[in-house]
Amino acid sequence: MASYKQDLPPKGGFDPIDFAARAPKRMFGGFTQFGLFIGVTGLAWVAWSYVKEIVRKEKLELNDARIAVEPFIYAEKDRAILTHYRRCRDEENELMKNVKGWETGTLWGEPVYHNVRSRYIKPSLEELVTHMSPKEQHDMIFDKLLR
Amino acid sequence: MPYTNQEYLPSYEELTVPELEVTSAVFRSAAHHLGKYCDNVCKEFMLCRSEENDPRKCLNEGKAVTRCGFEFFGKVKKHCYAEFNQYMQCVDHSGRLMDFKGCRKTQATYDNCIKQYLGQDRPELGYFSKVRLHNTSRPRPVLAPHELPERVPDPPSPEELRKPTDKLKNPHLTAVI
Repeated sequence: MASYKQDLPPKGGFDPIDFAARAPKRMFGGFTQFGLFIGVTGLAWVAWSYVKEIVRKEKLELNDARIAVEPFIYAEKDRAILTHYRRCRDEENELMKNVKGWETGTLWGEPVYHNVRSRYIKPSLEELVTHMSPKEQHDMIFDKLLR
Repeated sequence: MPYTNQEYLPSYEELTVPELEVTSAVFRSAAHHLGKYCDNVCKEFMLCRSEENDPRKCLNEGKAVTRCGFEFFGKVKKHCYAEFNQYMQCVDHSGRLMDFKGCRKTQATYDNCIKQYLGQDRPELGYFSKVRLHNTSRPRPVLAPHELPERVPDPPSPEELRKPTDKLKNPHLTAVI
């Protein structure tokens, strides 16, 4: 028979089990907690009143930069979109030149919009992407420059 | 396209002009001085655009804006190329917003160079964000008058309906009578 060590309780028995409820020991008391909260909030309030002005000026500078550059962007965009209209109209002329009864810019001769005062009409998305491939249409709709 | 062949669309020759091929960082860093240099043409173009609501009518003003941009960048390239480049690189690498707060030293160098060669100060903070007034000799645009369709004739009044009518004129009544 091999020798073995029996797993027995220690001499004198086990210690008594401590099952009583124990509250955790807090670092600060109640008044101190409130006091700390009010103190930190007050300091932050004062600091923010100084920082607020600096942040406002920074945002104003960025806004200025955006507005100053807008006309250049709009000029280029207007020229680009008018080129696009021209190309679409030329493409439609080319495509439908042998179709009887079709007039460019109308639906079989009937005008698309009722425009008595000859206002400028912005074409809808469908009209802009008509002559593009599905891949290009997706890129136009979701504003991607490179796939 | 809702544009017929009879409607006016500018030709390719009218729309092809040399374009300002610069990146966004260049625009961002040059914005304040560029805006002040080209203030009048920019205001004219934006006024035209908001009054007419038609890009076809503001092409010349737009070309003037781009031309002024070329002038400004030409001058900067000739006199202040290094300072501007340094400032632009700093702004470009200063985060996603391309903000100016980390680039004050390079901004000061650039401003001094612009003051020396172009003779213009940086506009005050908030100059572009405020409303700017503009004097222009271009007349205010007037839309074509609205033409209403012909007036539909009024229906007959009850007195007219009560008048005795000739039976022969109303064959369906003669059938009843």
